Amino acid sequence: MTSVLSSARIARFFQTYAVLIMIALLIVALSLMSDSFLTFRNLQNILNQNAPLAIMASAMTLVIIGGGFDLSVGSIFAVAGVSAAWIALNVDPFLGLAIAPFIGLALGTMNGIVITTLNIHSFLATIATSMVFKGVAILITDGRLIPVRIAEFTWLGRDKIGGIFIAVIVMIAFAVILTFALNRTSFGRKVYSVGGNEEAAILSGVRTDRIKIATFAIAGMAAGLAAAISVSRISMGQPGAGIGMELQAIAAVILGGTSIYGGAGAVWRSIAGVLLLALINNGFNILNADPFYRDLTTGLIILAAVGISASGQRR
Amino acid sequence: MISKFKMTVFAAGLAAAGLYAGASQAEDYNIAFFAASSQNGFNQAIYEGIEEKAKELGNVTTEIYDGQFNAAHQYSQIEDVLASGKFDGYVVMANDTVGIAGAVEQLVAAGKPVVSTLFPIGPDLTTLDPQVEGLTSTVASPPADGAKAQAQAVVDHCKDRDPCNVVIIIGQLIFPFDNLRYEAFREVLDAHDNIKVVATGEGSYSPDVSLTAMTDILQSNSDVHVVLSNADQHLVGAEIALEAAGYTVPDLYLSGGGAANIAITAIREGRWDATLAYFPKTMGSMALDIVVKKLKGEDVPSSVNMDEVGPMPFIITKKELDASPDFVGEWEQ
Repeated sequence: MTSVLSSARIARFFQTYAVLIMIALLIVALSLMSDSFLTFRNLQNILNQNAPLAIMASAMTLVIIGGGFDLSVGSIFAVAGVSAAWIALNVDPFLGLAIAPFIGLALGTMNGIVITTLNIHSFLATIATSMVFKGVAILITDGRLIPVRIAEFTWLGRDKIGGIFIAVIVMIAFAVILTFALNRTSFGRKVYSVGGNEEAAILSGVRTDRIKIATFAIAGMAAGLAAAISVSRISMGQPGAGIGMELQAIAAVILGGTSIYGGAGAVWRSIAGVLLLALINNGFNILNADPFYRDLTTGLIILAAVGISASGQRR
Repeated sequence: MISKFKMTVFAAGLAAAGLYAGASQAEDYNIAFFAASSQNGFNQAIYEGIEEKAKELGNVTTEIYDGQFNAAHQYSQIEDVLASGKFDGYVVMANDTVGIAGAVEQLVAAGKPVVSTLFPIGPDLTTLDPQVEGLTSTVASPPADGAKAQAQAVVDHCKDRDPCNVVIIIGQLIFPFDNLRYEAFREVLDAHDNIKVVATGEGSYSPDVSLTAMTDILQSNSDVHVVLSNADQHLVGAEIALEAAGYTVPDLYLSGGGAANIAITAIREGRWDATLAYFPKTMGSMALDIVVKKLKGEDVPSSVNMDEVGPMPFIITKKELDASPDFVGEWEQ
C-alpha cells in the first residue's frame, strides 16, 4: 500500500513538474557539453533575449486559464512596435516606449469587446483582428522598417541596473504582478472560475464578460510592453515583427502545463515553458550545432515533456 | 484646282497615317508584377523601379500582386491573373524558384512576355540562362558569384592575421539560395588555413533573430575578427551583440548583403566594411523595359547580370562610397 502511494506520488510529481525536469536535464546536458553555457552572462542573456516572449506568455496564461485563445498578440506586438518607433523618431523617444503598452491595452480591450459583444469564439475573433492589426502595422510603415538610432530609445532593451538587464527586471516584475493577481485577488479566482465552468461562474454572479475583456486587455498590454523592449533593443520598428510569437507564447503556456481547456494553470509554468524552448535555441547556437537538427530536437524535447506529463495523468 | 485637291487629299492621307502611327506608338500595355511579398522593402523597391519606368515610357500601366512569401499562394495567383486576361506581360519575383516554373510555363504558353527578377526560375540557381522554355529574360544576380566575392574580400582582409576568426550569419539554410551562398562562403574561406569559421548562425533576415544568434555565438567565441553575412539585416543585430559584448565594432570586418540604405550609412560612418550590392529599383526598371520591348517586337537579352550593370560595383566599400558621395541605396531594408 505504501509503495503504491509512493509511486503515485512520484507519478504526480513528474506530472506536475515535467517542464522543470526537462529544464534541469537540459541544463545538465548543456553544461557538460559547453563550458560557456553555465555562466552568469549566458544565463542572463537567455533571460534577456526571451523577456518579450516570457511577458507575452505570462499574460497569455490568463487568457487560456479563462478559456480563451489570443492569436492576435503577434500583430499587436507589430502595431505597438512600429508605433513606438514612429513616435520615438518624430515626437519623443521616451514617449514612444511609454505609449506602446497602452496601444496594446487598447487593442486587447478591443479584442475582448468584439469577443463578448458578438459572442464568437476567441480563436476565430482574434484570427480576424490579427489580420486587421497586421494591416494597421503595414499602413503605419508602408511596409518598411523604421530605424531609430537614438541613444535615449535603447535603454529599455539594452541597459542594466545593478548588473541585471532592465528587460529582465521588467519581465520578473510583470510575472510577479500577474501571479499575485491570479492567486491572491478575487479577479484571479474569477478568471479560474470562468475558464473552469463559465455557466457556474455566471450563476455565481461573476460578470464573465468583464473578466474575459480584462484577460484580453492584459494580453494586449503585455504584447505592447514586449514590443517596447524588443524595438528598443534593436532600435528599429518592423511591421513584420511578432509574426509567429502568438503561437510561441501559446506553445510555452501549454508546454508549461497550463490546461488548454482552461480553469487551471500558473504564470510560472509559462515562464518555464519559454525557458525550455529558449535553452534549446541557446544550446544550438553555443554548440554551433547543425541548424537542420534544431526543429527535430525541439520537437522531441517537447514530446518528452508532454509525455512525462501525460504518463502521470494515466496513472 | 486638281492639283490643290490632290494636295489636300495627300495632306489628309499623311495626317491620317501620322495619327495611325501615333496611335500605334501609344498602344497601351498593362503589366503585372508578381511580388514575393508586396509588404517588403526589397519588393517595393523593385516595383518602384517598374512604376518609374512605366511613367517614363508613358503608355504602360502596372499592378503589383502580393505573393505573401508563400509559394503555393503565388502559384495560384499567377494562374488566376492569367485567367483574367487583363495583362500583356509579366514580371515575376518567385518565392519558390523551382516550384513556380509550372505557373510561368502557363504564362509563356499564353504568348505573353515574362521576365524573372532577383533569381533565375528553375532548379539551377548558378546560371542566368533561361531554364523555362520561352521565358523572355532573367534580370538577376547569380547568388554564388556575389557570395564568393564577399568571401574573397574576407580572405584579403585576413591575409596578415592567423588565426582570423570568422562568424557567418546566413538567412536560412533550408532556402536553396542561402545554402548556395553558404557553400560559396565556405568554399573560399576553407581554402585558407589562417581563416577559421568559428560559428555559423541563422539570421532569418531579421535583426532580432540575428541579435539572439550572435549573442549566443559570442558566449563561446571570445575572439571574433570578421562577421560575414548575406544580408544587411543580420549585421544590424550582430552589431548590437558585438557592442554589448565589449567589441569596438569598427575594429572588426563586417560584410553584409543588399546595399540597403542602413548599410550604406554604416559603411560611410566606418562601422561596417562592405555590402554585396543589390539594386532593386534598377532591376525592376530593366525588367519592365524588357517586357515592353518584347511586346513591341524588339530584340531583348535572354539575361541581364545585375552584378555587371548596376550603378555601383557589386561589392560596395567605403572607397566606392567616397568616390560617389551622392549615392544612396535603392531600398530601405
